[in-house]
Amino acid sequence: MASGSINVSIPSIPRDFGKKKRANRSAKLKQCKLDARREQWLSQGAVKNKGCKEELMGPRVSPQQIHEEERKNALENLQMRRRGGGVGVGEDGNGNENGSIHHDFDLDSPLNSPTGSSVLGGNESGTNFTASSSSSTTSGSSVGGSITEEDGEENDNCLDDWEAMADALAANDDDNKLENHFDENNPCLELQSSLEYEPAVQLNCDLPNLGFQNENLTQERKVPPRVTPGNSRAWRPDDALRPQSLPDLPKQRSFKNIDRHYGQGVLPWGCASGVNVPTSCPICTEDLDLTDTSFLPCSCGFQVCLFCHKKMLELDGRCPNCRELYKNDPVKVETSVRRGSLTLRLARSCSMRS
Amino acid sequence: MATINGYQGNTPVAAPAGTTPSKQTVPAAKTVDTQSVLKRLQSELMALMMSGESGISAFPEGDNIFYWKGTITGSKDTVFEGTEYRLSLSFPNDYPFKPPKVKFETSCFHPNFDVYGNICLDILQDKWSSAYDVRTILLSIQSLLGEPNISSPLNTQAAQLWSNQEEYRKMVEKLYKPPSAAA
Repeated sequence: MASGSINVSIPSIPRDFGKKKRANRSAKLKQCKLDARREQWLSQGAVKNKGCKEELMGPRVSPQQIHEEERKNALENLQMRRRGGGVGVGEDGNGNENGSIHHDFDLDSPLNSPTGSSVLGGNESGTNFTASSSSSTTSGSSVGGSITEEDGEENDNCLDDWEAMADALAANDDDNKLENHFDENNPCLELQSSLEYEPAVQLNCDLPNLGFQNENLTQERKVPPRVTPGNSRAWRPDDALRPQSLPDLPKQRSFKNIDRHYGQGVLPWGCASGVNVPTSCPICTEDLDLTDTSFLPCSCGFQVCLFCHKKMLELDGRCPNCRELYKNDPVKVETSVRRGSLTLRLARSCSMRS
Repeated sequence: MATINGYQGNTPVAAPAGTTPSKQTVPAAKTVDTQSVLKRLQSELMALMMSGESGISAFPEGDNIFYWKGTITGSKDTVFEGTEYRLSLSFPNDYPFKPPKVKFETSCFHPNFDVYGNICLDILQDKWSSAYDVRTILLSIQSLLGEPNISSPLNTQAAQLWSNQEEYRKMVEKLYKPPSAAA
């Protein structure tokens, strides 16, 4: 009775134990699997990190080799620089075009820098241009966080910069797109560049400077070639009409260490769009949002917010800065949306003129 | 019955509710406008005070930021050197799309100012641009002091006398009343 109950109950206990054991076993198995996966994942991560580092190291060497090659052939690079040069020459002090063209020129300039060359290197190694440029940004950011053997100070700098420029990332993407756009269109400029002889010579003189740019080359040395080809005046940081897309040179100089360290072309992009954008409309002093900052109502470069622009269209329809009549709405919308193609067109016409 | 009453009750309620928002939106739009004018004037005031511009100054009169008092001192090496003039600036509600009304409160013997203090200056009329501000207005008036436009005078006597700078200087001194006395 009682024993029966015990007899009955006793076998049930081992069964329970068995169940528990089984559960324990399965739990252990799961744990084992998890551990294995974790290890696997960690080792993969390590490999990835290594790969990252290797990638980092790679472009350091390759751009120079590529540059050497390019200096011999010098065709593609020349076009790029040529475009800059042609643009510079084409500026007959025409303030209207200055803004947009300088913007264009500025977009080119990273190509002349070691950073840009790494992007070129990525292109030649068969990867998609978009992928390479964007991966350079991402890898740059991740590297900034992951590599710990590097100087902590510079790491901190990098992270701080990225935090500061987090807001401008969308604009960065835009710039990257523009860059791609230029690259795709580049072949069209081949003909023109071969027609223009004089600027080519001028630029060839600059090539040694640009070609041998190693990591120690300072920003100051990079600036003169930008200015000389067109013998046009350079925008000073305090110029009122300075296009905000131009990079802040002093700021960029402060980035130069990082630039040298990682050899990746991340930071100039951030500078190009994040730092100099006017924060408020000069008319109503309201903050400009992303739509406003990408809205260029007048060729003189005077930016106003969309609300003020609408009001001005209702009044006399003239730019408050240069008093020129605003062009028709559809065109403006188009230019504001496809700024890249517009500036490219201007650049071409200028290089034709020169 | 109840539902009908409810509907009847609702519709009259809905009608005023429909009208009140529309009534509210009109003043709301106005206040938004005024707000942006306020913001602009405040930032102008800040910029003017921070600029440390010598020879011009301006500040809102009382607590009305739409009405400012400004002063201009005559530039060096002009017949107006050593004189100071008080002006009033009255900003419209659609400033800066419309220019402020600027008048001399201190009488100034000048070809382009009349005896009532009206100023004949293109940028205060048809050549106004919303990119101008109080600072540029005052600086323009200050430069107009030394370089009048003789061809379109408001004060013909001053325009005729302008060629004789010595006599003109005497006339300025004779007619000059310091702003403190005038005010």
